[in-house]
Amino acid sequence: MRADFDLYVRRDSWLHRLDPRVKLAFVVEATLLLFLWPAIWMTLGIVLLCTFAMWRGHIPAAQIGRAWRIVAPLMIIVLVLTALFGGGPGAVWLRLGPLTVTASAVEQGVLFAARLLALALTLFLWLFTTDQASMVRGFVALRLPHEWGLTLALALRYLPVFAGLFEQVRDAQQARGLDLEQRGFWRRLRAYRPILIAMLIAALRNSEHLGWALEARALGTRGVKRSVFRPLRLRRTDVITLIVCGAVFAAGLVLRVL
Amino acid sequence: MPADILVQNLYYAYPPIREGDAAAAVLQGVNFEIARGDFVALLGRVGAGKTTLCMALNGLVPHATGGVFRGDVTVVGLNTKQHPVADLARHVGLVFQDPETQLVQMRVEDEVAFGPENLGAPPTEIEERVAWALAAVGLSDYRDRSPLLLSGGEKQRVAIAAMLAMRPQVLVLDEPTASLDPAGKAAVFRVLAELKRQHEITIFMATQDLERIARFADRVLVLHDGRIALDDAPGEVFRQVAKLQEWGLGAPQIAELGHVLTQRMGRRYEFADMADAFKQLRQRARKARMRKAQAPALEPPARRANPLAERVQIAVEHVSHTYGDSTVALRDVSLTLHPGDFVALLGPNGSGKTTLAKHLDGLLKPIEGRVMVEHRDTRKTRVAELARLVGYAFQNPDHQIFAATIQEEIAFAPRTQGLPPAIVAQRVAEALDRLRLVSYADKPPAALGFGQRRKVAVAAVIAGQPQALILDEPTGGLDWRSRQELMDAIAGFNILGRTVVLITHDMRLVAEYATRAIVLVAGQVIFDGSPRELFNRPETLAQAGLALPPVTRLSNRLSAEGMAASTLTIAEFAAAWHARAAAKGKRKTGKRSENHAR
Repeated sequence: MRADFDLYVRRDSWLHRLDPRVKLAFVVEATLLLFLWPAIWMTLGIVLLCTFAMWRGHIPAAQIGRAWRIVAPLMIIVLVLTALFGGGPGAVWLRLGPLTVTASAVEQGVLFAARLLALALTLFLWLFTTDQASMVRGFVALRLPHEWGLTLALALRYLPVFAGLFEQVRDAQQARGLDLEQRGFWRRLRAYRPILIAMLIAALRNSEHLGWALEARALGTRGVKRSVFRPLRLRRTDVITLIVCGAVFAAGLVLRVL
Repeated sequence: MPADILVQNLYYAYPPIREGDAAAAVLQGVNFEIARGDFVALLGRVGAGKTTLCMALNGLVPHATGGVFRGDVTVVGLNTKQHPVADLARHVGLVFQDPETQLVQMRVEDEVAFGPENLGAPPTEIEERVAWALAAVGLSDYRDRSPLLLSGGEKQRVAIAAMLAMRPQVLVLDEPTASLDPAGKAAVFRVLAELKRQHEITIFMATQDLERIARFADRVLVLHDGRIALDDAPGEVFRQVAKLQEWGLGAPQIAELGHVLTQRMGRRYEFADMADAFKQLRQRARKARMRKAQAPALEPPARRANPLAERVQIAVEHVSHTYGDSTVALRDVSLTLHPGDFVALLGPNGSGKTTLAKHLDGLLKPIEGRVMVEHRDTRKTRVAELARLVGYAFQNPDHQIFAATIQEEIAFAPRTQGLPPAIVAQRVAEALDRLRLVSYADKPPAALGFGQRRKVAVAAVIAGQPQALILDEPTGGLDWRSRQELMDAIAGFNILGRTVVLITHDMRLVAEYATRAIVLVAGQVIFDGSPRELFNRPETLAQAGLALPPVTRLSNRLSAEGMAASTLTIAEFAAAWHARAAAKGKRKTGKRSENHAR
């Protein structure tokens, strides 16, 4: 069992104490702004804001680096594809057979990649600083069905468990002589087959047991309204943050329309 | 007193796995009754239906599993047929073996609050329940911890607290201690005993932990052939050693000792527990005039001298290992394994046993120092190549099993070695035979119980015919006979001059099988020598949280009466006792110390 697959970073900071609904509002707001106003300074602004907030929320640099590493491959793919196929006017930088890479296409690619990063960081800001229980509470307080929140929370909860399971299964199969250090993509992919099957069986078994465990904990009792241990209440910092977020969004909207 | 659990004529069969198969009945007419506040242990072989019976008590059988269900289960006055599982949950708590699949939250406090939330309790009341439940399992300071990062024993205590918070009258536990180290097992049993004593909670627990059942349970039910075959106080049940063994179940070591002594001495020896055994044997020893003055008992001969002890098979040289999160797992470990060694690797959970074992077959590479397997440096050799030399059976067989049939599963290792089909078939047949799995050859692994799956996993590793075999806790949760069969197969592998490294907490196994014991504490080797030497070092044992097997403790206590100290096994004890008792003929008069001893 390894804990480093856990996305939530346990700290005691203002960001962690912030109402999960406010953080969710920030995620929604930043996403909308990114789509409404696809300018590079807006995108970079959000990246900087998120990084600053994470730093103030005592998220270690290594964790922020992990967020970057997770999006990096996607960013590179987007950048390369847009540069190659985006076309558009402007100086031609490179000619590869029928494909031309133009300055405007590269610019477009950089913008897309940066937006991706901004979106991811906003989301990670939320995931890093919101524990699973607050997440569910946030959803329920927003009148979403409890099952939805619980499903998402369980998915996040079992991410590290399955990552640990994968390591275990891989080790167990390697110890039996399964050669994962083979050359060649297809041969290696084939070599992973026993691991995937063992994983699948274990995952099915796990989810069956999990279902039983949840039922044994009285989930879905008839005729009872589920209560909440720590009901959410907006505090002053929450309200202020929400107002600031709202004001920024309104200003953005007004500026964009004008 | 009202009966909290009433099971009448319970018959149950799971739905068949493959269509067209006949449904196999697991329970065939189970009857029993349990009064309020009793601590009842359920004993039975692996696959006897203990889990099924536990799940029937909170309605998961048949509500969640389907199948054919006849008869009645009434818990705290509620018939499980008429009430869904979620409704029964406020009266019956069910704790499973694997903590991983029953802890669903990221904080201990939220975990415990989850049940009361589902019952719709108001927040202030939830707070009270959480505080009470955590105090009851002794984890009040753990509120803000993550369940993922706790030890196995702590996880199980959180799982128990999570059930208690729903204030059930009955607590059902399905082998909750099977995968725990001795400290974790002891903690869980202490908590349960406390719950029974202070809160009159009725406890029903399926387990293989014979020694602790004998100490803690008020009553033992034995499930055999789908029925309750014995139902009595532990002392009465464990008196029937021969019958239990015939059924594939064991008895606590002291009870077994009584059985063996009876056979060997031709007189009746029957012990209820350690204190009783000590009293009886001391009395007889004094009658027989065993005195210190007599020559000390012969040291039993050392286990079979190892003819290959000169050769080096695996050399671990100054190995240190640190994990990514900078926890140090091994500190400057050096040791040499010889072909034919039977090594027990001991130590508390988290002391680095598994980390060391994974270095022996190259799954982990040393950060400092080096490991040589048959003169190959593990850092420069592929894991797949090392796997032919060193086999590794993991703790959880399900991490390993993937094939459609048992036969296919066992054929995997010889096949990856590129052996011709005839030899592969021969190896498979051999492994099936050795672990008594022949009748299961064409069955899918899912059709087998946990104990059988574990045997399959070991058979699959043995079929590769490695030079050395590493086993990570192969006997946890196994019944007496499965354990015996598995260990016999491993001993048979060892006798061929092959090395066995056994990671275990079971000191009886160490005493009965190992020729060498290595104790790790906090990543360092604190002991490396014979089991007998280890058993004579109380400080080392205490440091590693290890307890002597009951027979060894008994012989140590009796050593003042002239009995040989630190006998390792029942057989050794019986031999020593026999040798001492031969002095009986020279009985003298005038010694009355037995009268004063009273």
